[in-house]
Amino acid sequence: MRWCRQSPRVIAPFEIECLDHFTRDLIKTCSDEKGDFVGFLYAGSVALVLGAILSIVLPNNKLRIGVNLIAQLLSCLLVLRVTIPVLFGADAVIGYLPWSFPVEQIDFEINAIGAFFLTFSLPMTFLGSIYAVGYLGHSIEGKRHVGVHFALLTMVQFSYLIIYTVQNAFAFLVGWEIAALSAWLLVIWEHRNQKIRFAGFNYLISTHLSLLFLVAAFTVVHGVTNSFQFANFVPFFQAPSMQRSIAFVLLLTSFGLKSAFFPFHTWLPRAHSAAPAHVSALMSGVIHKAGLFGMLKMIFMMGEPELWMGWVLIAASAMSAFMGILYTLVQRDIKRLLGYSSTENVGIVGMGFGVGCLGLSLHNPTMAALGFGGGLLHILNHALFKCLLFYGAGSVYRFTHTIDLEKMGGLLKVMRWTGPLFLLGSLASAALPPFNAFVSEFLIYAGLFQSTPGLMLGQMALPLFAALLAFVGGLSAMSITRAFGLMFLGVPRDPEHAGRNSHENVWMIVPMVLHLVGILAVGLAPVWALRLVQHPTGMLLGDKNITSEKWFGLLPTSLLQSVTTVTIVFVSVFAVLLIARFLILPKSNRRHVTWGCGYTLPNSRMQYSGSSFSFPMVAVFRDILTFWTKEDLPVGVFPKDGSYSTNCIDSVEHSTFDFLKRGEGLIKLGLARIPESMGFSFSIGFVGLIILVTLVLFK
Amino acid sequence: MNIILIIFQLAIVAIGPIYMIGLINRVKSLWAGRRGPRLNQSWFDLLRLLQKTPVYSQVTSWVFPIAPIVILATTVTASMFVPLVPGFAPYSFSGDFVAFLYLLGLGKVFLMLGALDTGSAFEGMGASREATYAALAEPVIMLTLGTLILASGQMTFSELVIPQTDTITSISIRIALAAVMFIVLLIETSRVPADDPTTHLELTMVHEVMILDHSGPELAIVQYAAGIKMVLLAGVISALLNPFSFDHLPLLAMVVSVTLIAFVAILVGLTESLTARLRFRAIPLFTFAAFLISLICLVIVHSSQGSIQ
Repeated sequence: MRWCRQSPRVIAPFEIECLDHFTRDLIKTCSDEKGDFVGFLYAGSVALVLGAILSIVLPNNKLRIGVNLIAQLLSCLLVLRVTIPVLFGADAVIGYLPWSFPVEQIDFEINAIGAFFLTFSLPMTFLGSIYAVGYLGHSIEGKRHVGVHFALLTMVQFSYLIIYTVQNAFAFLVGWEIAALSAWLLVIWEHRNQKIRFAGFNYLISTHLSLLFLVAAFTVVHGVTNSFQFANFVPFFQAPSMQRSIAFVLLLTSFGLKSAFFPFHTWLPRAHSAAPAHVSALMSGVIHKAGLFGMLKMIFMMGEPELWMGWVLIAASAMSAFMGILYTLVQRDIKRLLGYSSTENVGIVGMGFGVGCLGLSLHNPTMAALGFGGGLLHILNHALFKCLLFYGAGSVYRFTHTIDLEKMGGLLKVMRWTGPLFLLGSLASAALPPFNAFVSEFLIYAGLFQSTPGLMLGQMALPLFAALLAFVGGLSAMSITRAFGLMFLGVPRDPEHAGRNSHENVWMIVPMVLHLVGILAVGLAPVWALRLVQHPTGMLLGDKNITSEKWFGLLPTSLLQSVTTVTIVFVSVFAVLLIARFLILPKSNRRHVTWGCGYTLPNSRMQYSGSSFSFPMVAVFRDILTFWTKEDLPVGVFPKDGSYSTNCIDSVEHSTFDFLKRGEGLIKLGLARIPESMGFSFSIGFVGLIILVTLVLFK
Repeated sequence: MNIILIIFQLAIVAIGPIYMIGLINRVKSLWAGRRGPRLNQSWFDLLRLLQKTPVYSQVTSWVFPIAPIVILATTVTASMFVPLVPGFAPYSFSGDFVAFLYLLGLGKVFLMLGALDTGSAFEGMGASREATYAALAEPVIMLTLGTLILASGQMTFSELVIPQTDTITSISIRIALAAVMFIVLLIETSRVPADDPTTHLELTMVHEVMILDHSGPELAIVQYAAGIKMVLLAGVISALLNPFSFDHLPLLAMVVSVTLIAFVAILVGLTESLTARLRFRAIPLFTFAAFLISLICLVIVHSSQGSIQ
């Protein structure tokens, strides 16, 4: 095995006046010849694989986890040492690995886009592993071999190193498969439960459907280029052709399945509600970002997509954002709710990418920068707040032993850490200022309001998409209010799940706090956050060494400086009012029962329920959603107890299963018509053989 | 001049709510054949509430006393971007209207959280309705602003409301969009026909039922913030209709703005006197009507621009 560097590491001109000393020093040290980048990568991968092996073979759980966490941290640091300079403008790290037939040589390259994904994926997965120590606490004490679980987390990390770096279709597929299988095994951790096995199976099929489309697309490309190297794909992707359009649609479907775009999302809510909280968090926030990475890679290879591609991307993503958020409104299961919210957020990211594609096709660099910059930043933001929310949901689950929203309530008073963290995370997820997602959605809005000659009717469509995004924002505010209100406010709806004897686990709190720090950092210093996506976006714009002057020149003047100002003003007004309220105005501790409009015997079950909260909105969209109603209404003069329950099921999943069921019937019907005689089968087989031979001979 | 305008804007935002509510109530009283309360009655109401000792529900947590302050802070911050006079806002930047909308959204979320914190079914009901109607109004505002951006080619809130041309099309589009914003105002500030602030039955309220358990200073703060929001939306309408802009005739523009805001208040009072509250089921349709008007304006703006090019 031989590793080598092919390009000299020269740092791009990087004259940014306000660049932090830390970053500057970092890039300087990394530009010295001492540090061998490729060696770091190699060491990182070996650390991961060793960590995985050791966490399986070592004798007891604590030892296994300890060694595993050290290995993960080590590899994280090693790889970040390579990716951070690249992310901030150093040259791409290029190397190759000789391999046997049929690949022959695996090229790999850490460019700005790959560096961006690696830089957040690895540390977040490490934090997820730390969270797992708390979440799986009782299993660690018990007899179960928890090392396997951690080994799988390590393999997920390893798969990032492959997916985000390799430049070879075969190796890419291998990485894709490692990620899929490890994620599947992580989902079915509680495999004794039949429902969880089913959810895992559902995920396995979906992720392999995605693989199928990916293989199909690679086959199409290979048919033209006769190569599996991405470098040789580039000319194919740059010239418009029939095959390119087919490959685009196939790849979009594959990546859409991977990232759970609507209508390919059905596996996601099931898998997320079945998996342990940290696995859901990592799948939703980190692992499935690989699909979006794939889209970016495809767009990068194209250089200049056709106009319709941008529109397809925007339309599909807008539908995904809308349907995803609509489904969050009707969920009872908090983890399913968060899963649907992922579908919404990848939709928002996709809208950003679509705007970026339009910008590329119409040669409007500002529009492209806003779209891709906003989309990329939203990937990071989504990872930050979605992991926080899933960790919060896991913490609540360990506390109350339920994930049913309708059984919770009043947790804010007993969960002193999780409550506020979950509140801030959910405000971030509704893209409200001064949190992180506001920054990225702001960029996407700005992109949607750009006007460019050549858009024609599209100029009219973009404000409509902006209106849709605003609607998604309103719905998501409604959804998070509902979720947070049901879980944390009011009084416990079910005394069994009030969590009287539970306490919060510090292993679970620390990763949440760190994610909150990330959320606030992006929200309060958006200009800094934009630096993170400067070089990846520059790459997509075809300017790898984009300078800061150019970058900030592309975005509308001092756009995010203003967002910072707004945040500062808001926070200071809030602080002044808060102080004024509690110093000047009268305050008291007088308490009384909640006004029940005259009713004197309220109980906790009389609080507003989740389904009633979302009812007015659901009533508007009743035709889109599918409801199953089970009713046993009281009848007669002396009725017995009645019951009534409604359940919103996923209409895509429902109709898919319905179709499959009916399809089976149709096939059966068709088969029944085929005569079952020996002579018939023989003649059909013979005719088929003759056709086949003819095709082969006279091709 | 800027300083004067900032002071003007602050003054309107600060005392506007009191007189707007006073004016609405006066119009309603006159229409009903009564003399009605003084124009500055709500000033005394607020003062009285601010001096009272609050009583909290036993159920509430720290979210409840924080929520009104967040609401007021968001509204005050959002008032920075609103052009009460066309062409001028105390602070404006490209895309500031997004910040305006989302800041108000943050306020709404806290209003709803405060309501849910009491664990009351009635307040939950109010929160649910508020969330629904606010979410439905959101795309209407965004589309209206999108149409104005397309018409004016400007990206800041203060500049996109400036009339660019004096053609009949341009003027009629502005009037139509002002009508859209008027519908949005009725929904967002819980006036008839979207909601009835004077109803006495908790089951039929939207805004008032959410603040059933607020008392003393908390109640005063929430009511005042709601008033500011009304002034801001009325200010947007006045800026849309104002033929003068800050660049040409600042003083006249200021006077016309104040007059137009008062005119909006009178119009709200007349609407309240003349119409009954809609059934809740009809409010989405009401919003959709506003959306359609915006959409038609968008099509007209786009086609008229196409003919120019």
